[in-house]
Amino acid sequence: MSLTSYLLISLVLFVIGLVVMISRKNIVAILLGIELILNAAALNFVAYSRFVTNNLDGHVFSLFIIVVAAAEAAVGLAIVIRFFQIKETIHIDEATQLRN
Amino acid sequence: MFVQLLFLLSASLTIGCAIAVAVTKNIMHSCIFLLGSLIGIAGLYATLGADFVAVTQIMVYVGGIVILMLFAVMLTGGKDFVSRAQNLLGLAPSMGNKWTYGVGLSVGLVFLLTNVKLILSISEYFPEKKFGNEFPSTVTQIGHLLVKDHVLAFELSSVLLLGALVGAAIIARPRKQ
Repeated sequence: MSLTSYLLISLVLFVIGLVVMISRKNIVAILLGIELILNAAALNFVAYSRFVTNNLDGHVFSLFIIVVAAAEAAVGLAIVIRFFQIKETIHIDEATQLRN
Repeated sequence: MFVQLLFLLSASLTIGCAIAVAVTKNIMHSCIFLLGSLIGIAGLYATLGADFVAVTQIMVYVGGIVILMLFAVMLTGGKDFVSRAQNLLGLAPSMGNKWTYGVGLSVGLVFLLTNVKLILSISEYFPEKKFGNEFPSTVTQIGHLLVKDHVLAFELSSVLLLGALVGAAIIARPRKQ
């Protein structure tokens, strides 16, 4: 229940997201890793806001992170669906060209 | 007491479900475990006194983004659903092989150790200050901040959401060949 414990939880979450991003080969799974990383960052903002600055700017930053994550998920999944329409797979090794 | 219990529960739920996201075989199960992890993070926000952020986390992430992910998984399922038989100790045959897991784990380990060192020095730099306890409710103050200090980012985020909506619809539309 101190700043350090929250930072360590956030760090572990970030590292797990990084491992997911690097090790998975499914594009949707890579997006799951990105969501974990964004959540770790937002958790850091709120923890600093509670224990260091004592104002609510960190909360506002977290809200904007959530908004940007929603936009990113929508566009990313649209790209994934389009990619699947073209390639009939969502394996990342197949994504080698920009134009169809 | 209640807050400590909530903290322990949320932290273990967050970390455990995140590890399960990394190692489950089925991408569908990964999405469901991500749901648990995000709910755990909402609990952590609640222990920090951030009620509005916790509720927004549940509404946007749990109610929106994970459902979107599940739709994408189901729309792109097919042969990759439990894909490509690259088996790693029976652990994670889908979407990754022993090389990618090895590289991912080593990068993660280096990053973890580096940042544990950094975080320990950070906590010496910021001594424990105990502020007067929870905010009564953060909603009013966040509303004031959004329309006073952060109004430019607020408006820009609405433009961003509109752009993302239109962009997603254009990118994913079916095309005549």
